[in-house]
Amino acid sequence: MSAVPVPYFLVLAAVLFLIGAGGFLLRRNLLVLLMSIELMLNAVNLTLVAFNRLHPQSHGGQIFAFFVVAVAAAEAAVGLAIVLSFFRLRNTVRADEANTLKN
Amino acid sequence: MSSFLVALAPLLVVGLGGLLLMLGEAFAHRERGGSGPSADLAIGSFVTLAAGAVVAFSLWLVGPENLGGAAGVAPFLIIDRFTLFFDIVLCVGGALAALLAGGYLPEHKLDRGEFYPLLIFSTLGAMVLASAGDLLSLFIGLETMSLGVYALVGFRRGSARSAEGAVKYFLLGSFAAALLLYGGAMLYGATGHTDLAGIGAALRGGTLTGADYGLAIVAMVLVLAGLAFKVSAVPFHMWTPDAYEGAPTPATSFMAVAVKSAAFATLLRVLVSAFGDPASMSWGTGWPPVVALLAVMTMTVANLVAGRQESVKRMLAYSSIAHAGYLLVAVVALMTQPGIAQGSILFYLLAYTVSTAGAFGALILCGSRGKEAVSYEDLAGIGHRHPVAAAAFALFLLSLTGVPPTAGFFAKLYVVRAAIGGGFLPLAILLLLNSVVAAYYYLRVLVYMYMREPAPGAPVAAPMRSGYVTAALLICAAGVMLLGLWPTRSLELAIDAALAAR
Amino acid sequence: MERYLPILLLFFVAAVVAGVIYAVAIFVGRIPKGGPVNLDKERPFECGNPSDGASTLRPTVKFYLTALVFVVFDIEAVMIYPWAVKFSALGWNGVATMGSFIALLVVALVYVWRKGALEWEK
Repeated sequence: MSAVPVPYFLVLAAVLFLIGAGGFLLRRNLLVLLMSIELMLNAVNLTLVAFNRLHPQSHGGQIFAFFVVAVAAAEAAVGLAIVLSFFRLRNTVRADEANTLKN
Repeated sequence: MSSFLVALAPLLVVGLGGLLLMLGEAFAHRERGGSGPSADLAIGSFVTLAAGAVVAFSLWLVGPENLGGAAGVAPFLIIDRFTLFFDIVLCVGGALAALLAGGYLPEHKLDRGEFYPLLIFSTLGAMVLASAGDLLSLFIGLETMSLGVYALVGFRRGSARSAEGAVKYFLLGSFAAALLLYGGAMLYGATGHTDLAGIGAALRGGTLTGADYGLAIVAMVLVLAGLAFKVSAVPFHMWTPDAYEGAPTPATSFMAVAVKSAAFATLLRVLVSAFGDPASMSWGTGWPPVVALLAVMTMTVANLVAGRQESVKRMLAYSSIAHAGYLLVAVVALMTQPGIAQGSILFYLLAYTVSTAGAFGALILCGSRGKEAVSYEDLAGIGHRHPVAAAAFALFLLSLTGVPPTAGFFAKLYVVRAAIGGGFLPLAILLLLNSVVAAYYYLRVLVYMYMREPAPGAPVAAPMRSGYVTAALLICAAGVMLLGLWPTRSLELAIDAALAAR
Repeated sequence: MERYLPILLLFFVAAVVAGVIYAVAIFVGRIPKGGPVNLDKERPFECGNPSDGASTLRPTVKFYLTALVFVVFDIEAVMIYPWAVKFSALGWNGVATMGSFIALLVVALVYVWRKGALEWEK
């Protein structure tokens, strides 16, 4: 059985990253923005693990991915808490409603 | 075996102190009720962070090269004079913010104990970030620092502005972190290393194949963009004014001071250790023109916009962006004069820390009873109503303007000297022009404080009095004057701390 | 220029695929539903009973709090798995390291408990 070549993973990761970045820039729902960021982080994980196959002398890439997963969870928790408190005050999760600070 | 504990002593002191305070706050809260927790926690946080600074300073005196354990934690954490210098700057910034919070939080009915552990752990993250010699520890430090600060920005739970600032800061900050991380993953793919020194060696060795080299360049752009967000360089600055204005003022001071210093520390380390090879450092094929462009845009845009602000806090936010621009000028000078440029950056950050924390502290003193002094009108006549706060504010603003003999003057002088010595005369001239523009809006505050009276019938807040804030102002004022009157010794220390460019 | 070609190609392909996915998503979202609106068909299915009450119930904030705490503690297992795989190779040094990691988690748990985030009723 032949393994899937590494560049396939890299392209997939780049697609995921661009979908995430595009979602971040185009969408207006705060929860969707949070999900876009998570998608970008997962694309990074995929890139790291794929590159680890090109550098098999250590498991640096895979270990890095573990840490990214753990930190992303903490980030999601803080992000959800912030969005929740925003929702409590403004009764909306739309990003374009966040405009009281314009000067 | 345990010698690495000595090398990590500053981090351990701050981390364990933070844990103890956190537990103490959780257990004390239910027994008492009644008076707020700020009084004990502000002192406790100040002592913890000051102890961190003292321990870092004693390691400096011992000499990090004499510490056996320093090698044991490399490359994840690099314990050198550069790290220790930043440990001191960051601990001072955090300790000042803790003092400011001790006065600010009870006055504005925000007296909840979570503020202090968040502050301490953010400082810890900033210290890890400043000492990180590997992309992994860099990322963890960055996120530890940022997650705490996101929560601090949203600390005013009843305020829509605070929540909005936190949302913007969180979203853009995590986006920047994701960009940085993607760049880091590419660097790993191109070079097979996650430690900065290994990446630097691979780039310098010239053994990279064409595609790998291209990948490294794309990665460099992504990493630079991610770090530019963190130092709030134009055009990655959109979150800064909103987050700074929405945050409680002590948190604003912490962001302006410690977060920015840590971001510059890691920017320097990445540029010198990882992208320090001759090709990356040259004007034609490397990062200097990009950073120069960032510097020019940052200085100019921030100063022009700052002059149009009606809110003093927002003006200070734009002013902190402008200072990031001045610092980027010195970063460009790394190209030709690594030692002197780094020394000037470190000195600048020290001077900027005491001046900015002091300015925010004086701003805190000018408002009271849940109302912040936000607009220029609020400050009218404060020179008569609260002479101490006004005098302190004036001193720190003069330092930020760069008037001799304050710390800010020498900080600017050294940066300009590094830029001219490095052969970047146009940048130096632009910096001076921008300083003149900046003087307009700094001095405008002085005009309002001393030469205007509040409009008849306007609500005048009685300025608050707080021992904590006054103590913080005294420390800052002492720092501003010491650095201003004896700058050469501090500059020598700063140059000692510079990273060796190889 | 040649050295950048593979990377350019990578991003070009990725951008095209991502763009196509976005275009399809937007296109599908805009297709009008065929036929007239059938109220009976649009109604949520509840075992034949006519549905009652508001369809957007707001769950209590306790759910969010518990979920947040769960996510943070749960994901820390990611650090423990690799340690468990290499347990014997790491020896007592590994035990001490993981012990301090877990001690940190315990401190966080105690904090959460003292703050009352674990109390469902109150």
